[in-house]
Amino acid sequence: MNRRRYLTLAGAGVVGALAGCGGSSGSDGASGGQSLDDHPAAVNLEAQPRQGDLGGNVVLAFEDPSCTQCRRFHENTVPDIRSNIVDAGEGAYVVRTYPIIYPWGKPATQALEATFARSEGAFWALFDHYFAEQGQFDEGNVLDRTEQFLSNSTDLDGSAVVADARNRAHNEAVQADIAAAENADLPQQTPIVLLFRDGQFATRANGSVSYDLIANALGLG
Amino acid sequence: MAAVSRSLRGVRLPTRRRDWRLMGRTARLVLTLPTYAAVAVLASALSLTAFVVSLNVPIVLDLVLGGSLPLGSRLTILGELFPFLGTNFTAVQGLLLIAVAVLTGVDIAMATYHFREHGLDLQQGGAGAAGVVLGTLGAGCAACGSAVLVGLLSLLGVTGGLLFLPLEGLEFALGAVVVLTLSIYWLADGMRGGEINGCPVDI
Repeated sequence: MNRRRYLTLAGAGVVGALAGCGGSSGSDGASGGQSLDDHPAAVNLEAQPRQGDLGGNVVLAFEDPSCTQCRRFHENTVPDIRSNIVDAGEGAYVVRTYPIIYPWGKPATQALEATFARSEGAFWALFDHYFAEQGQFDEGNVLDRTEQFLSNSTDLDGSAVVADARNRAHNEAVQADIAAAENADLPQQTPIVLLFRDGQFATRANGSVSYDLIANALGLG
Repeated sequence: MAAVSRSLRGVRLPTRRRDWRLMGRTARLVLTLPTYAAVAVLASALSLTAFVVSLNVPIVLDLVLGGSLPLGSRLTILGELFPFLGTNFTAVQGLLLIAVAVLTGVDIAMATYHFREHGLDLQQGGAGAAGVVLGTLGAGCAACGSAVLVGLLSLLGVTGGLLFLPLEGLEFALGAVVVLTLSIYWLADGMRGGEINGCPVDI
């Protein structure tokens, strides 16, 4: 093999690898600048669990209670979103459930929607509880533990919520969130955070991104 | 083709302590040359950047390269995508990603050195030459191999399924470390018997 042949071979490998990088981008730039009202991920947003007022900046997060990256997002980023955006009147934090990681995320999501139908406060308590105790849950115990938590820590009747979850009584709401993610061409991963600056789509962040990233993206940095 | 097959049969693995010492010495000698040290640093930075950007291309297109944010915000957003600067990776994930980036830099610097200084002749080089080819291809793949993989898997819709792996996807970074280590060994093996910067490679 001469020098030229070697160069060609090596070059082909490097170029092939780099071409693969480019192909993996998957940007959904088509959504750039779209208004909150028109964005497919934000359909029926007023009916979703929300902290803060719509109309300004919006942090719309697709999360799975069983996802470890979502847990880290909750530990590292959500407290700052709540204090610096929601409490400061700069915008809203909205959650849509997207149960795609571990199997127990699906019944947990049914329970979250059944809870939300009764009490938004209890929804946030249960949502935080799933992340705080994430390692304790599996497909076999998640609804029993949910019933215990709701009965002991909220005003709700945990058994009624869990009965609804088992019967998938609020499956329409669960499927609506999944459909919103699919219609927005979101990748099959969580968390996915869509950022709207003054009602206009700014960008989509994948993974447990930091508050500093979100603040700068929304012009709050 | 027959020459390549013969060479592949003779490809060795770093199983002895002296193999690891050879890798260390060869890498150290190459990196003492400022040009190749710069190549290593540049390749490491590029590979890490390619990986973190590949996970969040929309942010980079919408806000870092496009949009109307001030320069400071753009740089902050870009920096927040990297391990230890942002929160997207755990400490273990961050360490592994940096290890892969450093190994990629060393690997590419060694491959560049070998080709520029020694050229390549399969008839003479035997297993070492095949190793260099494999090593160079490995360096190219590893530069963004995990990014390619993430892209392919997300195309297949199984990215979320990666979390079913015991290490939640870190297996691929560990795989990249193995591939890069082999690549560096093959490159070092191919340079055995030569000199780098006036110093003999053989221990």
